[in-house]
Amino acid sequence: MTGADQARQDAIRELLERVVEALGLQGTVEVSGDAETITGTVHGEQMGLFIGRHGQTIDAVQHLAHRAALAASDEEPAPRVVVDAEGYRARRSEALHRQADDAADEAVRFGRPVALDAMTASERRLVHEHLRDRDDVETYSEGDEPDRHLVVAPAA
Amino acid sequence: MKDLLEYLVRALVDEPDRVTVEQFEEDDGTIVLELAVADDDYGKIIGRGGRTANALRTVVKAAAVKENRRVLVDIVD
Repeated sequence: MTGADQARQDAIRELLERVVEALGLQGTVEVSGDAETITGTVHGEQMGLFIGRHGQTIDAVQHLAHRAALAASDEEPAPRVVVDAEGYRARRSEALHRQADDAADEAVRFGRPVALDAMTASERRLVHEHLRDRDDVETYSEGDEPDRHLVVAPAA
Repeated sequence: MKDLLEYLVRALVDEPDRVTVEQFEEDDGTIVLELAVADDDYGKIIGRGGRTANALRTVVKAAAVKENRRVLVDIVD
């Protein structure tokens, strides 16, 4: 691991530990990854407060962890940062795949574009990649943050 | 909450020594955290479209839930 990777992982670890403590939660923090993606995972129970409604707290923590990693080292390339707790990202990814499949089926059946709920950039990428293999639909983003969302449309 | 906000902001800026957070309490019990940073660091704590400022507020509010308090983060420039 390079000095930059180490500095970034340390910054993410400390940030997550501070947040877990400030939220009054019992949890241990594990950070792993490489120059491309760093994942910080909080292991513990009762992580509801850390995750927040619709994941808004864990997404906020993930954004801050990403910014803190960039502040710790400005060496290129900048890594992606994922923050997870209690399997939240896997559950969320399954739910997003389901929403994407439903939207794609609807777009094809009725021959019109279907807008999905607003999502963060990483979630939009996840849905976009999930639907990339289907040749009967295409996806694109519309709107401005924080309301930016994907649209699934029948392939032209 | 004040300590958490100070910590988070110091992790983001170029000049951590110039981060200050002042805490006030309103009559209705709401805690107000007034945050100031070095002039060149405001962009870093506000972020594109205000995204970083919103993330700071979201995390500090989650910490306030634990203490059953309302908290406002005021970015002063």
